[in-house]
Amino acid sequence: MSDNILEIKDLVVHFETEDGCVRAINGLNFAIGREKTLGLVGETGAGKTTTALSVLNLVPNPPGKIKSGTITLDGKDVLTMSDKELEEMRGNDVAMIFQDPMTALNPVMTVGDQIAESIELHQHITPKEAFEKAKEMLKMVGIAESRAYDYPHQFSGGMRQRVVVAIALACEPKLLLADEPTTALDVTIQAQVLDLMKDLIDRRHMSMLLITHDLGVVAEVCDDVAVMYAGKIVEIGSADEVFNSTRHPYTEGLFDSLPNLRERGEELIPIKGLMPDPMNLPEGCAFAPRCPYATEACTKQVPELRHVGGTHYVACDAYHDPNFCLRRNSNG
Amino acid sequence: MSKNVEHVNEPEVTAENLKQFKGRSMAQETVRRLMKNKGAIVGMIFLICLVIIAVVSGFIFDYDTQIIGLNPTEIYAKPGLAHPFGCDNMGRDILARIMYGARYSLTIGIGSVLIGLCIGLILGSLAGFYGGFIDNLVMRANDILYSIPNIMIAVVVVSIFGTSVASLLLSLCVTAATSFARISRAAVMQVRGQEFVESAYAMGLPTWKVILRHIIPNCLSPIIVQVTLAVGNNIIAASSLSFLGVGIPVPIPEWGAMLSDGRTYIRSAPWMCVFPGLAIMVTVLALNLMGDGLRDALDPKLKK
Amino acid sequence: MIRYILKRLVLMIPTILLTSLLIFWAMSLTGGDPVQTILPENATVEQQEALREEMGLNDPFFVQYFRYVGGIVTGNMGTSYVTGLDVFDTFMHRLPMTLALGGTAVIISVLISIPLGIWTALNQNTWKDTLGMVLALFGVSMPNFWLGLMLILIFSLGLGWLPSGGSDGIQYLILPALTVGLGLAALITRTTRSSMLDVIRQDYMTTAKAKGASFKRVIYRHGLRNAMIPIVTAIGMQFSLVMTGSALAETVFSWPGIGLLVVNSINKRDTPTVTGSIILCCILMALINLIVDIVYAYCDPRIKAQYSRKG
Repeated sequence: MSDNILEIKDLVVHFETEDGCVRAINGLNFAIGREKTLGLVGETGAGKTTTALSVLNLVPNPPGKIKSGTITLDGKDVLTMSDKELEEMRGNDVAMIFQDPMTALNPVMTVGDQIAESIELHQHITPKEAFEKAKEMLKMVGIAESRAYDYPHQFSGGMRQRVVVAIALACEPKLLLADEPTTALDVTIQAQVLDLMKDLIDRRHMSMLLITHDLGVVAEVCDDVAVMYAGKIVEIGSADEVFNSTRHPYTEGLFDSLPNLRERGEELIPIKGLMPDPMNLPEGCAFAPRCPYATEACTKQVPELRHVGGTHYVACDAYHDPNFCLRRNSNG
Repeated sequence: MSKNVEHVNEPEVTAENLKQFKGRSMAQETVRRLMKNKGAIVGMIFLICLVIIAVVSGFIFDYDTQIIGLNPTEIYAKPGLAHPFGCDNMGRDILARIMYGARYSLTIGIGSVLIGLCIGLILGSLAGFYGGFIDNLVMRANDILYSIPNIMIAVVVVSIFGTSVASLLLSLCVTAATSFARISRAAVMQVRGQEFVESAYAMGLPTWKVILRHIIPNCLSPIIVQVTLAVGNNIIAASSLSFLGVGIPVPIPEWGAMLSDGRTYIRSAPWMCVFPGLAIMVTVLALNLMGDGLRDALDPKLKK
Repeated sequence: MIRYILKRLVLMIPTILLTSLLIFWAMSLTGGDPVQTILPENATVEQQEALREEMGLNDPFFVQYFRYVGGIVTGNMGTSYVTGLDVFDTFMHRLPMTLALGGTAVIISVLISIPLGIWTALNQNTWKDTLGMVLALFGVSMPNFWLGLMLILIFSLGLGWLPSGGSDGIQYLILPALTVGLGLAALITRTTRSSMLDVIRQDYMTTAKAKGASFKRVIYRHGLRNAMIPIVTAIGMQFSLVMTGSALAETVFSWPGIGLLVVNSINKRDTPTVTGSIILCCILMALINLIVDIVYAYCDPRIKAQYSRKG
C-alpha cells in the first residue's frame, strides 16, 4: 500500500469547443500523502477545478476530454474504472465540496434528504435510518438537528456550506476535494468553516486537496502546497519550503502581490501581463512572457519539475544555473 | 541580483489590442451566427418567395374569373397537370387561390403584430421603467385582456363590427399587444436594475439617453424573437378564426376560410382540405425556423 | 397557504367584474333588439314597448349591467334567443364535455412531451435531438383544426377506424383529444427540452453525481424535479390555448362543448348566449389559473414559502 492516497501523473485535459481547443491541463503531476492536506494554488483559469473534477472523472464530456495520464486513488486507476465502480467510489472513497453553496444544493429537496441520499447510496440501511444519520451529521457540523426538514433557501451562506461539508463527509471518505470552499463566504464565516473542516479532517484521519487562490488560507490549513499555472504544476513542496524558500518566479510574484501590513505605503508589485489564453498557449514555458527572469531559452522548451531540496520541486529552467536565485531569496 | 538575463518582450495590454481580439460589433456577431443556421436561412428564403408570390399574384390572376368566379367545367377537378392542387366546388384552381390568399395571411399576420408591437412596447416599457401606479394600471389591464382567449375577443369584435379584414386585424393586435407589453416590461425591469445602468446615471447621462443608448438595445433580443413567433401565431389564429366563421368571409381566398369551405366537401374533394392547411403550416414553419435561428443567434448561451 | 388561496379568490372578483363589464358593454353595441325576436311580427308598438319595460331594456346602462352581474351570482344570465333555454344551464350542461376534451388532451400531451423533451435534452446535438425538434417544430406550426381534418381523412374516411363526429362514447373522444393534444405536446416538448438543458448545467447536478448517484437517479430525482417548475408554468399559460383549441376541435368534430356553443351562438346572433358564455369562460379560466398556481407552489418549496408567508 503506497504512502499516497492520490497520485496524478502526466494528466492532460482538453476542452473542445466551437471556438477552438482549450488546453486546460497540460501534463499535471502531483501526489497527496495519506492524512496530509495539499493546497493547490493558482489564479482563476489555471485549471484547478478541472483537476478536482478529473479525480472524480466528472469532467463534463462534451466538451471536456481527458486525453492522457493516470489518476490513482488508493491504488486504483480512476480513469479506467467502469461506471458502476465510479459510482461506488464517489462519495464513499472521495468526496467533493463545491465553491458556491448557493447553487450546489438542490433547491427542491430538504437538507436532511440530501445528506441522507449520500448515505443511502453507499450503505445498506433503510431510508429512515439514513435520515437519522443525516441528522447526526448536521449536529457534527454545528446545525440543529431539527433543521433537517428545512430547504436550502432557508439557510444562510455559511450554514449552506456546512451542509455541503456534511454531505461530503457523510460516508467518511478517505480524500476530500475542497474547491475554494470559503471564497463565496464572508470573512468571519470563512474562519468558522475552515476550522470546522480542519477539525473533522483531523478527527477522521482524512486527506484533503484544498483548492484556493488565497495564500493565507493555505498557510493556516495545509501541510503541502502546489502552485499551478496554465495547466501545469510549477512549484510543489511542503508549506514551509514553498513559503520560506520560494523558488518559482510566479510564486514569488504571488507573494509580492500581497500587501504587507508592516510596510505600509510601499507600492504593490503586480505581476505584469495577463494569463495566457488556454486556446493559444505560448511555446516553451507558459510563464516566460511575464517572467522578469526569462531568457531566450525559456521560450523554446517547456520546463520539467526538478528537485531542489527535501520534498521541494520547481519547474523552472533558470535553475540550470546553480547560482540562480530569486530576488526575494537574495534579500533574505 | 542576477540581471544578466534579457527581458522578453511582452505584448502591451491596450484597448486597441483587446478590440482586435473580437473586433466585431454585436449586430455583426448576431448576423454571422444567424447565417450559420441553415434552418433559418431556408425559412428566410421561403418567406421572401412568399412575399413575392403574394404581390405578383395580383397581376397574374384575374380576381373575378379565376379567384372567386364559377368555372362549371372544372368542378372537383382532381390534382393533376392542369391544376396541381385540384379545383374546388366552384371549379376554382386551388393553387391560384392559395397563392392569392398569401396576401391576406401575410398582411394580417404582419400587420397585427406590428400594431400590437407598437402599442405593447410603449405601454410595457413605461410600466417597467416607471413602476408604481403606471405599472399596476397597465399590468392589471394587460392581465384582463391576456386571460381572454383571442377567439372570444374576435367574437366580440365581430359581433360589433361584422366580419372583415379590419375586424380580424383589430382582434389579433390585442393579443399581440398584451404579449409584447409583458415581454417589454420584463425586459426593461431586468435591464433597469443592472449595474451598468447605474453607472450610466453616475456618469451623468440624462434619463432619455440612458433609455435610448443602454436600456432599449438590451431589451431588443427577446422582442425580436417574439415578433417572428407572433407573426406565425397570428397567421394560425387568423386562419382559425376564418375557419370558425368569425374572420374573413367567404369567398375571399383566405386559407382558413378555404378550409372551412373544404370541410363540407371532404369526402368528394379531399384536396380542398389538404393544400390550404399545408400552406399555413409551411409558412408558419418558415417563421418559426427564423424565430428559433434569431433566438440562438442573439443569445448563444441559450443554445449551449 | 389557505389564506393565499382566499386572497386570490377575493382578488378575482374585481377582475371578473371589470371583464364582464367590458364584455357586456361591447356586446350591447352589437345592436339587435331582443323584443323583435321574441314577439311575433304583427305585434303592435305598444306591445313592444310594454315588453321592453317589462324586460327592463329602457333602464340606464349601469342598472342593466348590475342586474346582469347579480344574475351571475344567482345563476340567471338570461335566456337564449334561439333555444329559449336558460343560458347558465346550457353552459353548465356543456361544460363537462369541454373539460373532458381539454383534460384528455392535456394528459395525452404530457405523456408524449415530457419523455420526448427529456430524451432530446439528454441527446443534445445528435440526430435524436434533431428528430425530436423537427417533429416538435412541425407540431407547433400546424393549425390544429387542419390536423383534425387530416386525422378525419386518414382515420375516419380512409381507414374507418374512428368516427368523425358526435359524442356517444369514448371512441368519439379520441380524435378530438389528439387534435388538441398533439399541438400542445409539440409546445411542451420544446419547453421541457430547454428547461432540462438549463437544469443539467446546474451545480447541484454535479453535487449529486459526486455523491455517486447513478445517471438515472440524477436525471429524475434531481433534474426533473427542478425542470418541472417552468414546465408547469408553461402548461398553465397554455390553458387559454387549450380552450381555443377545444373550440376548434369541437367545431371540426361536432363535439357538444362550450366552444361549439359560442361559435354556433355567434353565427346565429344569439347575443345573451354569447355574452354569458364568454363571461363564464373567463371565470373558468381564472379558476384554472389559480389551480395551476397552487400546483406550481407545490413543485417549488420556495414559492410555497412565499405564499404561506404573505398569506
